[in-house]
Amino acid sequence: MTSALLSIRNVSKSFADVDALQSVTLDLNRGDIVGLVGGNGAGKTTLLRLLCGLYQPTDGEVTYIDENQVEHPIHKVRSNLGVVPEATGLYSRLTAWENIRYHSRLNNVPDKKSWNRALRLARALDIEDDLQRPTRGFSRGMRQKTALIRALAHDPEILLLDEPTGGLDVTSARRVRDLVRKLGEEGRTVIYSTHQLNEAEQVCDRIIIIHNGTLRADGSPKVLMELTNTDSLEDAFVNLTQDDSREVDVAEPDSKLQRFWTRITTRNNPPKGGGNDS
Amino acid sequence: MIPDSLRRIWSVATKELLDFVRDWRTLIALVLIPILIFPLFFIALPIFLQGEMAELDQYELNLEVQINDSEIPIELIEPFNTSKLNYTIAPLDLQLNNLSSANSDALRIRDGNGQPHVILRLEETESNSSESWNYAILYDSTSELSNEGRSRVMIVMQNWESDIINHTLSQYNLTRDEALDPIHWDGDSGEANVATSAQSAGLALSMFIPMIVAIWTASSAIQPSIDLTAGERERGTMEALLCTPANRVELLYGKWLAVGVVAATSVIFQLVGLLFAIIFILPSDTLGMPSLSSWSIISLLLSVLLFAIFVVAIELALAVRAHSVKEAGTVLGPIVIAFIVPAMFAQFVNLEGIEWWWFVAPIFNVCLAMREALLNINDLSHISLWLFSSLLYAFLAVTWAAKQFKREDLVESIS
Repeated sequence: MTSALLSIRNVSKSFADVDALQSVTLDLNRGDIVGLVGGNGAGKTTLLRLLCGLYQPTDGEVTYIDENQVEHPIHKVRSNLGVVPEATGLYSRLTAWENIRYHSRLNNVPDKKSWNRALRLARALDIEDDLQRPTRGFSRGMRQKTALIRALAHDPEILLLDEPTGGLDVTSARRVRDLVRKLGEEGRTVIYSTHQLNEAEQVCDRIIIIHNGTLRADGSPKVLMELTNTDSLEDAFVNLTQDDSREVDVAEPDSKLQRFWTRITTRNNPPKGGGNDS
Repeated sequence: MIPDSLRRIWSVATKELLDFVRDWRTLIALVLIPILIFPLFFIALPIFLQGEMAELDQYELNLEVQINDSEIPIELIEPFNTSKLNYTIAPLDLQLNNLSSANSDALRIRDGNGQPHVILRLEETESNSSESWNYAILYDSTSELSNEGRSRVMIVMQNWESDIINHTLSQYNLTRDEALDPIHWDGDSGEANVATSAQSAGLALSMFIPMIVAIWTASSAIQPSIDLTAGERERGTMEALLCTPANRVELLYGKWLAVGVVAATSVIFQLVGLLFAIIFILPSDTLGMPSLSSWSIISLLLSVLLFAIFVVAIELALAVRAHSVKEAGTVLGPIVIAFIVPAMFAQFVNLEGIEWWWFVAPIFNVCLAMREALLNINDLSHISLWLFSSLLYAFLAVTWAAKQFKREDLVESIS
């Protein structure tokens, strides 16, 4: 029987006048590999950040449920989380191992233990020889792999991945997907944010579609296709997100003063003699 | 057993320091330059000044002597020649109100081209002295050569005047001291100063060490403060860091500790360089070493430390509010002035009968504390005032920085 590990209840998040996420309710179970799918500005990153405890919900709550069914606020149990943000966030003057060690130390994991684990993961991802190199010269793929090892070095129960295969070559992307599947088999919960529907279909056993800050669908790829009467996840996605997407940057709103200043210094002046489409 | 929180703060601080050490440019800027700046300054400045003076000495300058005669006094000929002054003689305009009225000669000097660099006007007058003359030197204060010419002519004139005085006095059987210095100091005036050389050194150093500390602490903390906050956001490393179990206050303390160590190291290295220059480079009679009591040394170090806590916290808080590295730099640049100006004013506050509130005014309090420490003044009421006010300011600054660090938008990458 699967039990809920993360509970998201009626969670809304607003930034100034923009509702980034509206009344999302979800339960994420142990061992789930969940694909978080949505267009630009749909609210995927906001949801991921709420799941990491980086954002506090405007309404609702995000909790972690332990084995005794006791609920904890998510920001109190961060050591159970491993996160790979889209930007990877590696320090270029430090070696790959020093980057991994830094985060392991912040997770109170002894160096020896994290080294052994990092070495094992580096072998699986084929960057064993690069662990002692500064990350300055790393390719996007190597950075992504290093960030993945860093996220896993303290052996977290939940893994949050934001576009983990973005910019990777075919072989590297496959290695990452294999590793994610293996982590799911080990009973870890993986939340996998991606734009690529075929990748989500390959890796995830559950897909959550977010659109305009609302939860549009939640189920296995097969269920979503049946629900929309389509043959592919891509068609199902298009069907479920037909209305206009907002494509706004909802995060980090400017202050009122800055917005006022931007308004008076940004004039909508078309060039003289410019055409008018209307 | 070290609490987890302290261990995390330590991990952040050591990582940041490792990151600094890896960057050789930062090391040069914050370690090598501070330690070398004063020794090089004290070595280079005299060499430079001597070089510049020697360069001006090489020039032969054109002097026009305007006189009511076809010849100049014979006493001036040799000094003019040895001073590399190529003189010509011209008639003096008798219509002048006084010899300093430049009239049309002003244009000739300003023009430069082939014209005299300086003009000496000489007019003999009636007097009881053996000789008496009125004179004026016309020159252009904005021209280096004209200024140099004026200096050379001035020296010649002063020597000539001295010779005339001596000659006149000798006619009355008087020596120069009898006539011009009838009330005179007996012995070496330096010996009459009862202050020890250490005390004098303390006084001299108290006039600029607090300012150096204020300037260097404020300026050396800027780059690390920006790098560790706005820089981390811009590079996208902040989000991953905020996802770790380290809470934001722990992260701030770790970063603050690292910036504080960098700024303090930089200031200490600069002071070491200054003391090295005083001991080994400056002539021994210029400035000695101050003799400080243990309490003065503790007081000095404590004031520097509290000032660093205050400054670093404010700079971190401001940098964390910035939306980009560029914006952080734009904001923090002028902030240094806000630290420097009070530090500069504090040098001129009279310590004798000083009002108590100076020791609670921000920045003034630590600068005055440093001055008193260097002068071996251990006034308990002053110490209590600056100590508690500095602790309060440091606490407020760190609290404000911690509040800024808890901002939700800190997670945003601003690249």
